[in-house]
Amino acid sequence: MTLSNSVLQICQVLSVLLLAPLLQGFILKAEERAQRSRGPSIFQPYRDLWKLFHKQSVVPESASWIYFIAPIVAFTAMLIVPLLIPVLTDRPLPLSDMGDMLGGGMILTLGSFAIILAGLDSGNVYGGIGSSRAAMLAILAEPTLILVLVGVSLLAKAMLPFVVNHLLLSSASVYLSPAHLFLILAFFALLLVETDRLPVHSSTHLEIYMIDEARILEYSGPLLGLIKWASMMKQFILYIIFCNVFTLPWGLSQLGTPMGQLGAVGSLLLKFLFVAIVVVVVETIQSRLRFYRYQEPLAAGFLFAVLAIVSSQLL
Amino acid sequence: MARELLSILLLAPLTAILLSLVSRRSRIAEYATVAAGVIDLLVSIPLLLSVRSGSIIWANQYILVDVFGGWVILCISIVYALSSIYAVGYMRLLNEDERLPAFYALFSGFTLTMLMACVMNNAGVFWIAIELTTLVSTFLVGFEREAESTEAAWKYIVVVSGGISLALLGTILFYWGSSFVLGPSYAMTWAALRLSAPKVYPPLLLISFLLVLVGYGTKAGLAPMHTWLPDAHSESPAPVSAMLSGALLNASMLGIARFLGVVTGTSVSRFAHAAVVGFGIFSFVIAILFIVRQTGIKRLMAYSSVEHIGVQALGLGFGGPLGMAGALYHMLNHSLNKSLMFYGAGNAMRAYRSKDIGSIRRVLKVFPVSGILWLLGAIGIAGAPPFALFLSEFTVLRAGMQGSYRWAAIVFVLLLIVVFIGFLAHFRAMYFDEAPEGDIARLPWTAWRTLPMWMAFLPLLVLGLWWPHGLWIIFHQVFHSVMGGSQ
Amino acid sequence: MFLAHIDSLQASIFSSLAILSLLLTFVMLGSHWLKNYVYAFAAQSWLIAALSASVGYFSGYRELYAIAVLTALFRGLVLPWLLMRIVHRLNVKREIHAVLQTSSSLVIGACAVMFAFVIANHMSRQQQGAAHVVILALTIMLAMKFLGFLMLSVRDEAVSQILALLVLENGIFLGSQILVPGMPLLIEIVILFDLLIVVACFGMLVRFLVVHAGTTSSRELNRLVG
Repeated sequence: MTLSNSVLQICQVLSVLLLAPLLQGFILKAEERAQRSRGPSIFQPYRDLWKLFHKQSVVPESASWIYFIAPIVAFTAMLIVPLLIPVLTDRPLPLSDMGDMLGGGMILTLGSFAIILAGLDSGNVYGGIGSSRAAMLAILAEPTLILVLVGVSLLAKAMLPFVVNHLLLSSASVYLSPAHLFLILAFFALLLVETDRLPVHSSTHLEIYMIDEARILEYSGPLLGLIKWASMMKQFILYIIFCNVFTLPWGLSQLGTPMGQLGAVGSLLLKFLFVAIVVVVVETIQSRLRFYRYQEPLAAGFLFAVLAIVSSQLL
Repeated sequence: MARELLSILLLAPLTAILLSLVSRRSRIAEYATVAAGVIDLLVSIPLLLSVRSGSIIWANQYILVDVFGGWVILCISIVYALSSIYAVGYMRLLNEDERLPAFYALFSGFTLTMLMACVMNNAGVFWIAIELTTLVSTFLVGFEREAESTEAAWKYIVVVSGGISLALLGTILFYWGSSFVLGPSYAMTWAALRLSAPKVYPPLLLISFLLVLVGYGTKAGLAPMHTWLPDAHSESPAPVSAMLSGALLNASMLGIARFLGVVTGTSVSRFAHAAVVGFGIFSFVIAILFIVRQTGIKRLMAYSSVEHIGVQALGLGFGGPLGMAGALYHMLNHSLNKSLMFYGAGNAMRAYRSKDIGSIRRVLKVFPVSGILWLLGAIGIAGAPPFALFLSEFTVLRAGMQGSYRWAAIVFVLLLIVVFIGFLAHFRAMYFDEAPEGDIARLPWTAWRTLPMWMAFLPLLVLGLWWPHGLWIIFHQVFHSVMGGSQ
Repeated sequence: MFLAHIDSLQASIFSSLAILSLLLTFVMLGSHWLKNYVYAFAAQSWLIAALSASVGYFSGYRELYAIAVLTALFRGLVLPWLLMRIVHRLNVKREIHAVLQTSSSLVIGACAVMFAFVIANHMSRQQQGAAHVVILALTIMLAMKFLGFLMLSVRDEAVSQILALLVLENGIFLGSQILVPGMPLLIEIVILFDLLIVVACFGMLVRFLVVHAGTTSSRELNRLVG
């Protein structure tokens, strides 16, 4: 019994919504385990979100309407993107015509942009610092993201992620080609930067060193919960793009049966396990770079993206 | 007959190595090496004569003894014999008796690798043999374990290894180019390369040849790749310097000449020859610049080696039977003359206990007889008659005037004048200038150190007055076998 | 000829392995720590061994499997081990003086790769269906030569110079696996072992440098001039 398309789409969005905290919990625990301590339970983010949604919200006096709108915009953007990318099924579902890969990238960035505005909104000085740093990172990362998407489009001769997925599944020569390998490396660099892993991380409670947390210092209660959930979903979505579009395109449901959906969810979790372990290993063997050296991994990613484009044209 | 001779030729140094290593006594090592040197010299002459009638190919096409290889073997054997006699006298002065067996083992090993390089038919295995010569001679250069010697050995191995890796690249490209003609798997003998060269894509052929030229040119000491040469030749013990100058440079020129022969007759021949001439002239210019203002006696000899390698390159580049004859005769004469010069320099260094030209004064007081030999050798190496180098340089000049490289020949003549003046100015200072007051240098006389000088000098004089007709015939044969007779 | 009949899968595999090796050369060019340098060289040797094995698999030259195993063992394990021993013994951890900044040397390296591409294009124009892999192999061979000489020029630590020479040889080996897989086995094996002897000699020399000259940085080896 195949499910109807709308049910499949809702399943996609729900899986992103519900499984994002699980991924975050797993990464945190794996990090701690790699450093030989026990770490929190992998369900801890769920408990954190539950706690936040039941707390009182404290709003600064100088907050404007942006303060309230920004978390909602970010959350909603993160709900829209799963409609556009292959999450559980490998055939395009109706609403995925709303945007191609560049559109998906733009909506992801819209969410971050909303939070940047929120950091500036209340006039808090730490919010300003956080927003400016986050904006700088975004500036460095955007060209790489665009070039990676261009490279993928050149490789597959189409802008839809589904086409790329089919191409990688069907043709081993494209999968093993240098262009594809470079794209994987470039997107991996982007993944590390966008999901706030070392060497770009800043897990300190000192405000002067914060990058992302400084933007949301003024938030509390349910709004903070929404923002945190949105950032977890962004991580989840980036992992989905990395796995399903670039690296491990296998395991997507083709027919749309309920068993297929469950199987797709399971394979998704398996793939994420693998990628998360790789990320944790890469993170553990490095230390944090100084802020002015953040350009280096991103420049390397940019270089890889350019090389991917060049080699897809020449070879 | 030739096979037996070749076996003796190669086994003699091998036996010397084994005896030196096993016995660990310096006397045995010395005598074994001298014996091996004399045997090699005596065997190389009939070997050369026996291959005049036809080349010999042996061991599944890996070993080739032709006239060219035989001639270079002769040059190497002469230097080996003379240097091993000189080494006995010289190395005893160093007070390093425990390490002498190792020295002699390395010395004979060095000779063995050079001899092997001369008989290799396969271009790849030739490269391996040249690489082995580098590795063995590095330890000879750094034998004295001083700061300067170690530095010289380091520079030597780094620069030369980098250079001959270019030659390896060139060899691989040659193989690839010819694989379009001969199939993907074939034995890369010189004959096979020459056969397929006209059908290889010309730019590929040219780039391969230039890479090989630069690569083996580094080993041969062509400028601007000569930077290791003054250091290595000046810091090594005198017998080793003589070997490096007289024998190793010849083996490298063998490689260049063989590859030049491969591309002769194809469309890139003009450019290839012009490149060789260009390197030759440039070596000349650089060498002269450094000779004129030189302060170290052995560095002076080293730059003179660069100059003479330039002359050989000019001879090869000018082409034709005359150019080839000049280059080959120059090989022999340069080996003899340079050995003489290095022996004299070694004696002078030991007597005056310094490497500076400025500290060597009034040589005739210290060396009454061998000093005369040294002075005459200096006149010879500057290119003056009646010594042999004059004849070979004159032949090269004639070849240059005949062909399309008149400009190079004219530059050559002008620079020769500068060399003559510059080089002999140093010797005039050493022989006829006033010495500062102080204790007179002295060195106990031994035949070991003087006999090789006589043995190097007399053939130099004889060959300068008489160019044997037999040698002309041999050189013609070399030209036809290597260059294919077409020009 | 083998290269005239490869399909796209083989071309992709060869291209990927070769380009990753070139990338590792850039890593070597840009790193200051000698440890990273040696590890990158080891990784590169493993990639080249994988390339040997895949060429042997697709082309039918079974002896290339032996070459692949020997390469992985000697170039990938023994040589890096020997080099790390030298590094430990010398107690040098990094390049102190940089003649050229990292970014400048990377840019020069990129220009060298482009120049190598131009030459490779020119050299292989003759073959009508010149496979892209051929041009790529030539480019990478020449580029690794350029990068090796660049490293040799701008680095003054003795161990870095040894590694630069090994990179030169690696480049030739890589190119020869793709371009001339049918080259006689004897030559390939002897070149492989030759490297081992070279590194052993270098090890001894470096020790002499430390003992007699007091330093391994060639910036300070300047007694012989003129």
